[in-house]
Amino acid sequence: MKINPVYKMETKVSSRSFRLALTLVFFNAILALVTLLNMYSVVERVKLTADIQYSSFTNLYTFVAVVEFVMLMFIMPALTSGSISGERERQTLDLLLTTTMKPREIILGKLCSSFATMFLLIVSSFPLLAVSFVYGGVMIYDVFLLLLCYLAVALLSGSMGIFFSSLFQRSTIATVVSYGVLVLIAAGTYAVNVFMLSMARMNMNGALVSSFQGVADQASSGSSLYLLLLNPVATFYVMISRQTGDNKLVGSLNNWFGPHPENFIMDNWVLLSIIIQLILAALFLIAAVIVIHPSRGKRLRKKK
Amino acid sequence: MLEMKDLRKRYGKFHALNGLDLHIPKGSLFGFVGPNGAGKTTTIKIMTGLLYADTGQIKIDGVDVTRGIDQLKEKIGYVPDFFGIYDNLKVSEYMEFFASCYGITGLKARTRYMTLLEQVGLEDKIDFYVDSLSRGMKQRLCLARALIHDPFLLVLDEPASGLDPRTRFELKEILKELQEQGKTIIISSHVLSELSELCTDMGIIDQGKMVLSGNMEEILRRVNATNPLIISVLGSKEKALSLLKSQACVQTIAVKEGDIRVNFIGDDQDEALLLQQLIDAEVMVHGFFREQGNLESLFMQITDYDKEKAVLVHEDKSSL
Repeated sequence: MKINPVYKMETKVSSRSFRLALTLVFFNAILALVTLLNMYSVVERVKLTADIQYSSFTNLYTFVAVVEFVMLMFIMPALTSGSISGERERQTLDLLLTTTMKPREIILGKLCSSFATMFLLIVSSFPLLAVSFVYGGVMIYDVFLLLLCYLAVALLSGSMGIFFSSLFQRSTIATVVSYGVLVLIAAGTYAVNVFMLSMARMNMNGALVSSFQGVADQASSGSSLYLLLLNPVATFYVMISRQTGDNKLVGSLNNWFGPHPENFIMDNWVLLSIIIQLILAALFLIAAVIVIHPSRGKRLRKKK
Repeated sequence: MLEMKDLRKRYGKFHALNGLDLHIPKGSLFGFVGPNGAGKTTTIKIMTGLLYADTGQIKIDGVDVTRGIDQLKEKIGYVPDFFGIYDNLKVSEYMEFFASCYGITGLKARTRYMTLLEQVGLEDKIDFYVDSLSRGMKQRLCLARALIHDPFLLVLDEPASGLDPRTRFELKEILKELQEQGKTIIISSHVLSELSELCTDMGIIDQGKMVLSGNMEEILRRVNATNPLIISVLGSKEKALSLLKSQACVQTIAVKEGDIRVNFIGDDQDEALLLQQLIDAEVMVHGFFREQGNLESLFMQITDYDKEKAVLVHEDKSSL
């Protein structure tokens, strides 16, 4: 089987570097600290109240999963945003492009090597997540879905990092822009919904000024809620809420942005969002391939 | 082997290539010369498929580069004007990586890169990190890397820049050896004295156009043709000077350090005829030769635009 040369070389170099070992240690150290502190607080509460709350252990799972998700979301762009611009800085990109390797193979090699590092981080953290299995409440299906969510966000943020790395000459600029866009997707879609909800509440208050009490509670952010399908944080929130007992989306997103009708999208929110994130990731990768392809200028001129 | 016709490339308003025509014969060691910004690197990048020309045609071994670059990549080796190395790799790993980029793996790759490292004199550095190599060694490693897939066309962009004389000499020897193996080599450089010794063919590019190209011998002959005739005469120079003044081919005459320096426009036959006339006029000629020119002077002439006109006028006259 032919292994992608870029992937092979990158993994060899990264596994030899001190950075990977350091990343693994810090990643797991933070997770371990979070887990142990959480367990400590549960045990201390038991000592005080003599009442064992098993839901606390589910909360432990939620807490560790959230911390891991956030860390992955922010580690992946750091791993990928220097991938192509780094090649440019080393002046090795031209050399790669003169070989028989296709630009898409170079991009995929870069993504896979970053993905391998990320996969190592996830797998290495499994023992910490498994602590919650001791007390039950979390099914194997939940862990599978959690993994899927991690993979989707890693692919999205990773491919975004690779795209900006292809677009910009300097790794620093690529990293800053990658984080900027990631924050924009996460916070921007949320902000749009908050804004739409406020607008809806203002309109309802104005129209029904003397109407019954609590009318503002009926206001919702409307169809802008579906923008949150792009938002990996919102999807993760929905997924983790379902896993920890809040089985309906109404109970999670609706708490924030008002009541929305139940439909196919709402019922399959997590799956649809993951699919959309994967499509977005694929689009970023295709764009990165186009950007580094030597014929890019010619194609653009032809279009004009 | 390599044919370019009316190649044009523009960066915004700047015309990097302005109708470049070039022919490079198979098996030649072609020196590609030009001042900074003349379009050398752009041409090389188009040859190697790193850039696409706006218009014009470029064919390597009969294959259109624009359409068949994937097919041609297996046949072209490229050494850029920078090293392009991965510091965290060992020499063997670096070579192995690029071999795998061309689909060469396993024992075949190892045998190939060991032969190449031996050829460039780096066989004892195989376990060294690339970072620890000297500048000259890195350049030789880059050359070995470009040869990993055994290309028949090797393109080198300013390979000797920043190298010490010894490394330059070694590089020159390697290139000669490669040419003897039948490879066509294109080398862009500013070190013209080295190119004149090394190359079989040469082209001078300026402002995106080829201003002079051809076989090295032809070019050197042309260089000499623009140089003055040095005539040494025993005794009085009066007779010789009056005869020279009456010649149509003579442009200027100067007496310097006892020799007569004549700007003479004419071919070998005209020179022989002039010598005959001097002897017939009983002038005691004991020296008659063209001052030997060099590529630097030609390069300066061609790329200096006022003088360029003079050269072109001369070329027109000599062709008549």
